[in-house]
Amino acid sequence: MVSVGVDAGSRAIKIVLFDVDSREVVASGIVAQGVQCNDLANDLLRDLIERSGLGTGDIHRVIATGYARNMIDFADTTVTEITCHARGVYHVAPDAATVVEIGGQDSKLLRLGRNGGVRDFSMNDRCAAGTGRFLEVVADRLGVVLDQLGPMAARSQTPASISSTCIVFAETEIIGLLSTGISPDDIVAGVQNSIATRIAAMAGRKVAAPVVFTGGVAIVPGMDRALESALGRPVSIAPNPQFTGALGAAIIAAA
Amino acid sequence: MTIQPRRITLDEWDIRYIELLGQGMVEPSYGGPLRRHVVDGGDTRLLKLRYDDSAAALRLWNFLLTEDDRLREARERGKLLIGTMKDLGTVPVMAYSGPNVVAFYPDGAWWIPCMMEMSAGLLSIASSLGLDETFCPVRAMIGAFVTQAHFPIPDLLTCSVGATCDDFSAIAQRLEGLGYPILWWEIPSRRKPDAGEEAITLPGGFTAPASQVAFVRSELERVRTAIADLSGSPLDDGALKEGIHAANRIRRILRELRTLAFTAPICPIPALEMLIAEMLAIHFCSDRDEAAAVLGQLLDVVRTRVEAGVGVLPAEAVRVFWVNPVADLRVMNLLEDCGGRVCGTEYLFSHALDDIPEDLPPMEALARMALADPMVGSAADRARRVVNDARGFGAEAVLISRIPGASHCAYEGAVIGEAIKSELGLPVVEIEVPPIADALMPTLTTRIEALMEIRRN
Repeated sequence: MVSVGVDAGSRAIKIVLFDVDSREVVASGIVAQGVQCNDLANDLLRDLIERSGLGTGDIHRVIATGYARNMIDFADTTVTEITCHARGVYHVAPDAATVVEIGGQDSKLLRLGRNGGVRDFSMNDRCAAGTGRFLEVVADRLGVVLDQLGPMAARSQTPASISSTCIVFAETEIIGLLSTGISPDDIVAGVQNSIATRIAAMAGRKVAAPVVFTGGVAIVPGMDRALESALGRPVSIAPNPQFTGALGAAIIAAA
Repeated sequence: MTIQPRRITLDEWDIRYIELLGQGMVEPSYGGPLRRHVVDGGDTRLLKLRYDDSAAALRLWNFLLTEDDRLREARERGKLLIGTMKDLGTVPVMAYSGPNVVAFYPDGAWWIPCMMEMSAGLLSIASSLGLDETFCPVRAMIGAFVTQAHFPIPDLLTCSVGATCDDFSAIAQRLEGLGYPILWWEIPSRRKPDAGEEAITLPGGFTAPASQVAFVRSELERVRTAIADLSGSPLDDGALKEGIHAANRIRRILRELRTLAFTAPICPIPALEMLIAEMLAIHFCSDRDEAAAVLGQLLDVVRTRVEAGVGVLPAEAVRVFWVNPVADLRVMNLLEDCGGRVCGTEYLFSHALDDIPEDLPPMEALARMALADPMVGSAADRARRVVNDARGFGAEAVLISRIPGASHCAYEGAVIGEAIKSELGLPVVEIEVPPIADALMPTLTTRIEALMEIRRN
């Protein structure tokens, strides 16, 4: 039997199949979010089930999480992404005390208690300037793909200072920086620092180690270092960070 | 047989109203179906709320939503109107002690953008006058003065100033600049008495130096004189004592209502109706005696439900202490939709729920009450009261609602949240609620649901 975790996020839908007995991931998949969210998730699940040699009768339970969780009509129940990310991180990094999750359109900082339970959390979701969307806008403006941002930031000698608190104004600011001769590498590094600084501000003065970084933005090279610098703590990236929420949902569904 | 109470929609209220009429419901003059406020008043937010289904709740809503009519009728009958701005619960007590005077709370206009879903344009008017969204939504009040469509222009305007919100001071100053004279009275920042200073314990338990109480008393004396001058008859101590006694009667009803509602094993009344009821403590909704009657009827309903062990929410609802009022009333429903119930509140005027001392000279008692305002002391003081009340009501979680632009909310949430975590070990979530929070509903839902999950896990 497998349990299913569906993370219907703002930018992508992620699904994890989790073996209820062996407590291991059987399969995982991702698809871009769209208008027909439920259909997209259903198609992805069907595909994963087929590729795993399973049938629908092998599904123990389905839990949906993420912003569009209530649109997943085949889910048995829903759980917030806050609880799911915590549970997913606990599975892969049981010592984690703090989880930073940066997704497409929000960012979160979770403080974990015993057994992966959430003790406390902070969220930034009013403004895209602390989220993955900022990186997408910057990549688009600089004419590069997301994968290039890490190497670009790594080449930076003097990260630019991004002062705008709004992603729209920041875009204008970037154009201004380019026109004054600031290199794209320094701009990318500056944007990464800007996002990390926002997370640090959200964290307040108390960030307990170990810090685990998860969510889609964790796969962008260089963001972990920017976070380390801003938080003043070592930061490790969760394995398959995009799937942590779906994994947590699947684990909860397995209970 | 006790009928199971429910939270119902406006559509369901249409049916329920006919049902209640059939059962012999007798309504006051301002009664009628709730929907008429949508049709006649443009209060379209009502279409999206869920309500308690009792006749007492209907009367509460009708009382709230007919305040403008009541004020205009009062003026027609020759009553004098006093707008008591900023002050939360002191000057209205004085004003209602005078003959032929009706006091109201122009700041209450802050809910109009929510109730009318922005259609009145009050916030746009405020913005055009330089009070944009960086100010508290109470800036809607200045729009209401400009349109004169939501309350009549009062004969006297008073406003407390000093240790009150920076936003409100700025808004009121702008109002005065528009040609509305204001009687300003100063409330100092409450401080602990220094060594050797005479200390006075205020209602609610805070302390202040006697010199501060004396100062506030002298400021309130100016207000007393202004009310007397307006009404043409002196506002003597005897009248003030009667006014204090009447106000305390309402406060006692509210305290009993809160205790029953917040401590009952099954929540007997929704958070939304409790919020409206608590607000009556500070301004009586322009009719002190009727406010007492409205609250008395609500208390009867709640008492009956508690005795019968019935309520509007499941017994397992998470007990949440709520800090600060919300600009969008729909968010009170949301807490319950997410599996919570309100079991304690601090809506910025907890002092207005305490008894005004009746064994003191009335002006001394009122000065002490004014200084007990949680907003004129330190955030730590306020946090202490929240901690004590949350402990007393057996809260399992705390929700702090920020008011966008409100200067006092900018830092108090963190102080209160830290105090709750360190002293009670309860989970805390902070949310920000604009006048129309529809676009934020997914994120607000996630935060509140997460708070419930933390508690349950």
